[in-house]
This record gives sequence, C-alpha cells and structure tokens, in this order.
Amino acid sequence: MPALVLAVWEILARAGLLSPQVLPAPSKVGATAWGLIGQGRLLSDMGTSLLRAATGFAIGGSIGFSLGTAVGFSRLAEALLDRSIQMVRSIPFLAVLPLVIVWFGVDEGGKIFLVSLGVMFPIYINTVLGIRQVDPKLLELGRVIGLSNWQLIRRIVLPGALPSILAGVRYALAVAWLALVVAETIATSSGIGFLAMDAREFLRTDVIVLTILIYAAIGVLSDAIARLLERRLLAWHANYATGGRR
Amino acid sequence: MSTVLDADSRDEGLAVEVRSLRRRYGERTVIDGLDLRIRRGEFVALLGESGCGKTTLLRALAGLDAVDGGQIIGASKAAVVFQEHRLLPWDSVWRNVALGLDDRAGRPLALAALAEVGLGDRLDDWPRNLSGGQAQRVALARALVREPGLLLLDEPFAALDALTRIRMHGLVKQLVARHRPGVLLVTHDVDEAVALADRVLVMRNGVVANEYPVSAEANTHRAHPEAVALREQLLSELGVDASALAVG
Repeated sequence: MPALVLAVWEILARAGLLSPQVLPAPSKVGATAWGLIGQGRLLSDMGTSLLRAATGFAIGGSIGFSLGTAVGFSRLAEALLDRSIQMVRSIPFLAVLPLVIVWFGVDEGGKIFLVSLGVMFPIYINTVLGIRQVDPKLLELGRVIGLSNWQLIRRIVLPGALPSILAGVRYALAVAWLALVVAETIATSSGIGFLAMDAREFLRTDVIVLTILIYAAIGVLSDAIARLLERRLLAWHANYATGGRR
Repeated sequence: MSTVLDADSRDEGLAVEVRSLRRRYGERTVIDGLDLRIRRGEFVALLGESGCGKTTLLRALAGLDAVDGGQIIGASKAAVVFQEHRLLPWDSVWRNVALGLDDRAGRPLALAALAEVGLGDRLDDWPRNLSGGQAQRVALARALVREPGLLLLDEPFAALDALTRIRMHGLVKQLVARHRPGVLLVTHDVDEAVALADRVLVMRNGVVANEYPVSAEANTHRAHPEAVALREQLLSELGVDASALAVG
C-alpha cells in the first residue's frame, strides 16, 4: 500500500501535476536524503534526535514507573501523590514550553525535559492500573506459600502488571516523538526538527518532506520495538503469543 | 529449612491441633469453639452445608484469616490446594511448582514432584496449555513439593469433570499414602468424602457436630454396605432426604 502511494506520487510529480514547491517527487526527496548523508548532516541530526528521545524516555519512564509502583502499592503514596500527578498531567505540555525555554534555554536539557514529561504519565497511569489489576487470588497463594514481600512483587505483582505497563510503553513511545518534534521545531540548533525548520527558511520542501518521512519511519520502528517487547515478555499470554491461538 | 519446632509438632504424628477456635464476622459467629486433631498420614474430610464455616476453618488453618479466639498448633507447615489451580500464567509449569523454593534446589525438586503427578513431560509448558485436570495436578505437585505436615484441600476437584475427578481421587490417595501429610479436605461431595477419607466430619453451628470413621474397604468399593449406609447417613445429616433421592 505505501509503495502504491509512492508510485502514484512519483507519476504525478513527473507529469508536472504536482509543483516541486508543493510536493517534490519521491526520487527528489531520496536524492536530497543522499546528499545530506553525504554532507554528514542527516545521520548526525538523526543521531541527536534519537539520543534525545532515548534519554527523555529513560528518565521519564523511570520516574513514571517508580511513582506508579509506589502509588499502586501504597494507599499512603496514593493519597500523597496521585492528585498532584493528575493535576500536572492535565496541563498540555505546549503550555509549559515558554517556561521550559526560559529554564533550560535552547540546550539539550529542555528537550529532554519535555520528552520525559510526556513519557512519564502514560507509564505512570498504566503501572498503577496494572498493579491494581493483579489477581488477589494469586497474591493469596503467594502468601500461603510463604513468599516474602519482595518475592511477591517480583514473582506475582510485576509480571501480572506487565501487559498494562507495556501498553503504557507503547503509548509513551508515540508521545516521546510528539514531544520531541515540538521541542526541536521551536528551540534548537540540531536534530531532525531543526533540519525541518532550517529548510522552511529556504523553502526546501524536499527536506521538509524528508523529515516528515523520517518521523513516520521512526514511529513505525518504535511501534515494532514495542510489539517485539510484548511478544517476548508476554509469550505466556494467549493474546500475545505468536501463532498460537489460545 | 527451619529448625525451630514448636511444642506440639514434636509430638510425633500430629499434623495439627485446634483448640476451641472462634471466628466472628460482625454479629455472626461462624466458628464457635471448634476442636480438631489431625494426625500425620490421616485423611479427614469436612462436610457441611454452604456457609457453615468449612472454608473459614480451612482459611484459618492456612493462616490466611485471623481468628478471634482459641489456638491452632502445628499448622505452620501447611500447604493449600484451592478450587482454582492458581498457577501463575507467566511462569512455566516447573517454575510454578518451584515457586518460593531456593533457586538451585527448586528445579530438581519440582521435576520430581511433576513426575509424581504424571506431568514430567510438561515441564516447560505454559499453564494456559494445560487442561483443568492437568492444571490441578500441577497445583498438587506445588503443594507436595514443600513436604507439608498438613495438606489443606479446598474443594480442589469441584470444577473437574466426573471422569477426571475419579482419576484425581486415585492420585491424591496415592500421594498422601507416600508423603503422609495430615489432610483436611473441604468438600460438598458426599461420594468424594466416603471414597477418600479415613474420617468424615460434619460441621454444623460452628462446631464439628459428628464424625464417622471410614474403613479402607468402604473407600475402595462404592457398593460396600458400609459405604452405602454412610453416604445415606451423611446426606440426611446435610438435610437431604435419601429416600427422596431413591425415588428421583
């Protein structure tokens, strides 16, 4: 299907029906990509963006998971934390962008902060939910067998919460990219978003289209990673097992 | 392994002793001064109408619920098989059996226990690939691998089909004879109680109202006069008129 779209697009562009200013032909975009790789810019910009996304994901994911675990287990932590977390969550993160620029300038810190902020909440919410959904009968069994609290968590609670946590990871991966696009197009001097903004100045539609395609490709890739994680870690689960139906 | 023995588990052969146990839920007294002794190797079945406190007693013995009075002595090494298998779906069959055991020693023990219940070839399967009877056999292996002094069975065969249930009866009987824990089987099924138990208790008003010894012959031969008479007696104790059954 994507190949068909590409073919039609190329034909329309070649026939002159699409002005190169509006939408350049795929072959032109490809040539641009090749040129940028040759200059050494494309790969380094991609590397910068990936590193930002990964760092932000790791930080936001860890914080979300830790908070989620605390709130999932302890009523006290829930009473103390949950309300505030939900309040912060309801702030659209575009609204904090000016503040982030003031705090962090156009450095890496601000972008990583935004990505972390975006990633934190889906992971937090799904971790809490997953822990709450663990079958109390299995916990009871663990107690009869004499598992320690730590063993209960490691052998029963976390595996039981994992499907929900991974759903959060998958959603968070998408949010990470969204946050990064926003951050990179507003205040930056490197990365895929910067490439796009720079191209806009010079009306380089081919570069802009290229960056959009890169974002799409990375989205597909991160989804594939999430699926792979699910298949690996949830092989025991009938709904995720490969090939096997029930 | 714990080396601490409390006073009565040193008393050879006693699996558990319960003295004037009391348990209330709000205003309602469910267990009202109940006494019970089970020896090692003894198979005791506990019958009673729904809500008479059978399961409450079992949960108290398992240490799952607090009690409001009385003493439970020697039940510290108890294992439970529930009505549902309660296998962890994310662990393979052998890991389920080895749950809570020392990592190094767990696997060989689990393998031996699974071989004993006839599932030595399913070690690495996921629980979801097991039938109901197989899953319950794994649950049995998980209970026995700990060599419990007291084995608590909470209607473990109720959800199985009739043929599987009969096979499970044979297996349990055999395993208990080999490992010799004291067994308390909570059940609704009079046939099951007569087929398995050395002693059948009837619980009513929060105490053991009656108890009947069962001979080995009555265990194995359904049509043995003692078995027939005992079934009728137990049914009438539970409020079912046996003559009405004969007509129906």
